[in-house]
Amino acid sequence: MSTDEMVRTERTGDGVVHRARRALSGLDRRFLPVLGTLLTLALMLGVGQQRYSTDRVDFVSMKLLSNLLVDNSYLLVLAVGMTFVILTGGIDLSVGAVVALVGLSIAEMFTAGLPLPVVLVVGVLIGTSCGLLIGVMVQMFDIQPFIASLAVMFLARGLANVISVNSLKIDDEGFSALAAWGLKFGEGRQLWRINASMVIALAVLLIAFLVLHYTRFGRSVYGLGAGDGGAAVNLMGLRPARTRVWVYVISGTCAGIAGVLFALYTKSGFNLTGIGMELDAIAAVVIGGTLLSGGVGFVLGTGAGVLVYGLIQVLIAREGLDSWWTRVFIGVVLLAFVILQRVLAVRRR
Amino acid sequence: MTPTTPAATPSPGPSRATAVWHEVTRHGLFWPVLALVLLLLACGVASPGFLDVTVRDGHLFGQLVDLLRNSATPLLLALGMCLVIATGGIDLSVGAVMAIGLAVSLTYLDTAADPSNIGTVLTAVLLGLVVGAIGGAFNGAMVAGLGIQPFIATMILMVAGRGIAMLITQGQITTVTSPPFKTIGSGFVLGVPTPVVIAVAAFVVVALVVRRTALGMFLESIGINREASRLAGVRSRRTTWTVYVIAGVLAALAGLVYGAPTMAADANNIGLMKELDAIMVVVLGGTKLDGGRFYLGGLLVGAMLLSSLERAVIIFQLPSQTTPLFKAIVLIAVCVAASPTLRAMLRGRRRADRVDTPAAPVEPVSAAEVTA
Repeated sequence: MSTDEMVRTERTGDGVVHRARRALSGLDRRFLPVLGTLLTLALMLGVGQQRYSTDRVDFVSMKLLSNLLVDNSYLLVLAVGMTFVILTGGIDLSVGAVVALVGLSIAEMFTAGLPLPVVLVVGVLIGTSCGLLIGVMVQMFDIQPFIASLAVMFLARGLANVISVNSLKIDDEGFSALAAWGLKFGEGRQLWRINASMVIALAVLLIAFLVLHYTRFGRSVYGLGAGDGGAAVNLMGLRPARTRVWVYVISGTCAGIAGVLFALYTKSGFNLTGIGMELDAIAAVVIGGTLLSGGVGFVLGTGAGVLVYGLIQVLIAREGLDSWWTRVFIGVVLLAFVILQRVLAVRRR
Repeated sequence: MTPTTPAATPSPGPSRATAVWHEVTRHGLFWPVLALVLLLLACGVASPGFLDVTVRDGHLFGQLVDLLRNSATPLLLALGMCLVIATGGIDLSVGAVMAIGLAVSLTYLDTAADPSNIGTVLTAVLLGLVVGAIGGAFNGAMVAGLGIQPFIATMILMVAGRGIAMLITQGQITTVTSPPFKTIGSGFVLGVPTPVVIAVAAFVVVALVVRRTALGMFLESIGINREASRLAGVRSRRTTWTVYVIAGVLAALAGLVYGAPTMAADANNIGLMKELDAIMVVVLGGTKLDGGRFYLGGLLVGAMLLSSLERAVIIFQLPSQTTPLFKAIVLIAVCVAASPTLRAMLRGRRRADRVDTPAAPVEPVSAAEVTA
């Protein structure tokens, strides 16, 4: 990378900061955390561009974006579902275990000779029913979301262990074809592609965005985050009880879809997949600027959060550090980010 | 100190027997205790001799003693967790702190000249506990100092902690040979397994400090309304911070007790998912996650229930990987059975009642009893 380019990147970097600072005064307070996410993303891309670009290949490219989305499509879907739950002030710890359960169920169903569409639909429905179970426990029996989803997490993990404790390979032709499908763009080192899981993940993100911002249901989701037990939502003539069950159903369904995507990604099912994946999803949502107390956040911010999360892993791999550094760095970035949000919030006050 | 005593105030009912029955079933610990007793009896039926306790070489011996020994780690973790939850917080990092504490202790022993020296072992233990305290202090500073949500604040250490433990052990599984250190996990004191003694001692100390001083009431007041308690003169920041430090120390202690029998610091696996077990123990013990009222006595029941569940899976000759399934069933059953909704439904009350008073107190336990 030439000095010219470096100077230009720095300038644009400065420009962004400057513009952001100017915009802060007139900006809606709700956008502040998301702005932080975008700044972090820009900063990391800048560092990556500085350190890893060669004369022939830029670090920041469509290829990078495409790889990030291919590697993290399942996480994006999980995080989108988690955003719904967190916006209502709840939490869903079960998603990682559900991903494992769905993956193994898919493998088992293919072995039993079921056709591809049935397998995919049933796979997603397994996730949906797990979510429904949490929703019913939270709404009908007044069990805290943390505990209800913890119970379903144990349940899903236990069921996955019952199906198999070995890695089951998926070698269905249709499934492999679906996993291999992709549109290729560019040439040589710049080659990038769009594959099925990317399309599905982005579609989920788009639908979630439309639902959250342009429907009555979306309004109820934000309203439930007020922390008054749905009283305000009720007074507005919306349906708090139904909405609360639905967000967990959505999160469960997203976990089901993510399970399918993860199976597409690894072409196998294994009972130990997804341990700690729920934390990755929650971390991505938090980095994306959604507050865990509920009511504040944007699903598109979650999308940016997932990119930041994926980028951390790329940067660590590029630095050639030992794998356990990844956990430490993710912790550090989470820490920096939470403090950044805090500082932004305080300064605003 | 024993908040577990069923509330004795008779409520107006058709007859005294039904009134007592209602009081007993309404007590937060009724369902967990019932589950524990049933589970132990079932184990006793399935495996004759399960309930026998014999004395061999001056040591207590038997399945029940093993069960108590296995309950020590979850009890230690749950003790700290319960206090944290009482302030309206949560500590997700205890599993990672276990790993760090053990990694530091064993790495010190590994590099020490004479790992079997009592002094060296004591230093190692102390180092582990200090590291636990540092972890807790970090959590506490985040929560009380910076005002970050406890879930996310402790999640940072949970995510990073295991990596830190790996850094300490250089990615290896550090193993040492040190008989005195091993005693912490597998020895006996006056015939009772050391982990049980340590756990009970920790329980008694915490219970005395919390229930015989005003600390317990401070914790509950912070959990119910932080701002109000601050205005009332409770040093809520300092108290919250202290509670996280205590939780960190207890977690490190649990790590030492858990890892001592094998004396291997496997940073990847020690304490994995233990934070969830600890939270489960607290919930089974009748403490709500919302903060406020908490029951230390319930932790004993919860910890026993958890370890007897794990043991029961083996006794009934089920594959041990199915344990999470049964944890899920017990957790769901106990939570649903204890939920006010189900009770209302059983009594044929309309659910509309509940919507009017979402935070209605479940049990008529007087403040005096709670803090007694």
